[in-house]
Amino acid sequence: MVLKAQMKKLALPMVAAALAVGLVACGGGSGSDETTVSGKFEALPGAPDAYSELAGSAALTRAEDGTTASLRVRGLVPETAYMAHLHSGGCDQPEPGGPHFKFDPQGGDEPPNELHLGFVADAKGEGSARTASNREVPPGEAGSVVLHTAGPTQVMAAFVHEDHDHGGGGGSEEPAGPVAIACAELEGAVAAAPLPTIVVRDGEPVGGVKRLEYSAGEEIRFEVSSDAAEEVHVHGYDIAKEVPAGGSVAFAIPAEIEGIFEVELEALGVQIAELRVNP
Amino acid sequence: MSLLPFAHALVARQDLPVPAWLFAWGASIVLIVSFFALAAGWRKPRFEQLHWRPLADGFSRGLLSLPVQVLCGLLGVFLAGVAVYAGLRGTEAPDRNFVIVFVFVTVWLGFPALSALFGDVFRPFNPWRAVGRTAGAAFRAIAGQQPAHLAYPERLGRWPAAVGLLAFVWLEVVYGATGGITVVISPHTTAVAILVYSAYTLAMMAAFGVEKWCERGEVFSVYFGMFSQLGCFGVQDGRLGRRRPLAAAGQWAKLPGSAAVVLASIATTSFDGAQEGAFLSPIESVFEWFVDRGLGLVASARLTDTIFILLCFAGVALIYELGLRGMRSIRNAPPLATLRSGFAHTLIPIALAYLVAHYFSYFVFLEQAQFTYLLSDPLGTASTDLFGTASGSIDFTVLSSTAIWYVQVGALVVGHVIGLTLAHDRALVYWPNYRLASRSQYWMLAVMVAFTCFGLYLLSVANS
Repeated sequence: MVLKAQMKKLALPMVAAALAVGLVACGGGSGSDETTVSGKFEALPGAPDAYSELAGSAALTRAEDGTTASLRVRGLVPETAYMAHLHSGGCDQPEPGGPHFKFDPQGGDEPPNELHLGFVADAKGEGSARTASNREVPPGEAGSVVLHTAGPTQVMAAFVHEDHDHGGGGGSEEPAGPVAIACAELEGAVAAAPLPTIVVRDGEPVGGVKRLEYSAGEEIRFEVSSDAAEEVHVHGYDIAKEVPAGGSVAFAIPAEIEGIFEVELEALGVQIAELRVNP
Repeated sequence: MSLLPFAHALVARQDLPVPAWLFAWGASIVLIVSFFALAAGWRKPRFEQLHWRPLADGFSRGLLSLPVQVLCGLLGVFLAGVAVYAGLRGTEAPDRNFVIVFVFVTVWLGFPALSALFGDVFRPFNPWRAVGRTAGAAFRAIAGQQPAHLAYPERLGRWPAAVGLLAFVWLEVVYGATGGITVVISPHTTAVAILVYSAYTLAMMAAFGVEKWCERGEVFSVYFGMFSQLGCFGVQDGRLGRRRPLAAAGQWAKLPGSAAVVLASIATTSFDGAQEGAFLSPIESVFEWFVDRGLGLVASARLTDTIFILLCFAGVALIYELGLRGMRSIRNAPPLATLRSGFAHTLIPIALAYLVAHYFSYFVFLEQAQFTYLLSDPLGTASTDLFGTASGSIDFTVLSSTAIWYVQVGALVVGHVIGLTLAHDRALVYWPNYRLASRSQYWMLAVMVAFTCFGLYLLSVANS
């Protein structure tokens, strides 16, 4: 990504050169394409009883110029330090979340090579944290956020708060090492994310041609609802489905072919969506 | 309302735009290579001599023999006939009818590539030339004398072909692709257009002579012949031979109007690429302006696209003219007219590069259709399965997006380098003084870099 930024700088003189010679070409740049995956925390089997009321969520927002991870949890022990890490696997792995996500797999296990979210729960047992990196977490490489208890030293490393009383709450019954409490599955959140829906009324897509973006290897998922019976055709993949009048039909196609594809109402020849499968 | 580009209707997949980093790399390589190409000690022209070496006699005589010529001509006429028949009698679905893909993809995009590699291969298959020559032979047999021809107005040169080239592409991407109403020219219209063009061509051949018209006015002969100048195979004095690659191109542009043919090729390819990306919003504004003035949707779309295609031609010609004017300012420069025809051939590699960059994937996908279902079921009515391939389909996974990107950028960079080399070589003829020649080429360098960056830019914003 750092390299990419340099490339962009290089590109500018080229464009300027082309313009200077009289080629005034107008075009739209690419918009900012942020994607967010999120998931709800669920208590892990070995979690202490104190966390039976735990609830909350974690989110990961990817943008072209970086990644932001955040979480918000309640039902924690008040005034206690916690630490959460971005993990590469899902919650159902034997070791929940699998290994920590690392930007550079050979690199160290501390930020900025990993995403850590350290925080201290407030008096009501609620806490939130946010961390950002200027590097992009590649889609599909981060599976979950795992929350566990943290000793005072770890929190000190993350947050230097002079006036905090780190000794409170936890008490002597808490084990010495960090205990994994809960895991938020980010991949699962993708599936749970609202399905993009294309609404067709009078043979036209409401709000214009819908643009949907996917990465190769993902699943192309969207839904078409229509006031009249139509045949919906996904070009390139050559998949056609019927949508009944007043009903809807869902598509789930493995994104195998890269490129830009039209989704059409076959009989009318009207384009309703544009699928973009990036490599 | 969005204007649907031609490519949509025929091929279901469009390319992703070239990513910014690859665009930057391509453009940077162009600049660096250009710089070193000029600095390299290339001080004597190397492409002015053909270095002609005839191929083996038997081979040459066999390929150029009358039976082979008759056979090729018959095949050409037969295929043209199939195309017209399919257009008139076949389905109106453009992607299922033989005529559309055959004319606009297989022939129009296939022959430039074939010609650059193997020489003027269109010539023996040219259906109009075959008919014209047959008619000429019949006339001689019956009348016992050579047919009399009008003198071709030499000042026109290749202008009829340049105009015809613009008209052909206009028919394809403007007349056909109008505002989402008809997304592609209909097979029927194409068939009628072929018939009209045939009548016009045969009339011109009768008036000026078959070979004369093929050399100057017949769009396909001139256009494909232009690309054949790049390769190393050719025919001279009735014999096949090899020559130094690129060397023949230098002689090609002597006829007036040749520069217009190359510029038209670059302009039309640019337009087709730009209407999907760079020109999309200006085209839509102009289109809406016309619609607001009460013009019909189809008329507005056609008028808008016509304006933009002409603007493209004017823009491309202007860049070339600026380069020439720049060269003219160098001491001992030849007159502008000499420069204009003297450097036209240096744009042929760029024109070819533009074609490859814009249509490579499109061609690969549609040729799968051409050689499977379109060949077995040319009418598209599911009534025939001539070769058992009627149920074939296009495999869009044969090319990955990254492969397409590298071909696109590679074609533009290589085309630019070849164009620059040819220009440098030609400058050494006009300016025997090496330093002056090099200085004159800073102007062509600007032209070439402009074309390459423009080409890359179009690819990087297409569909984004």
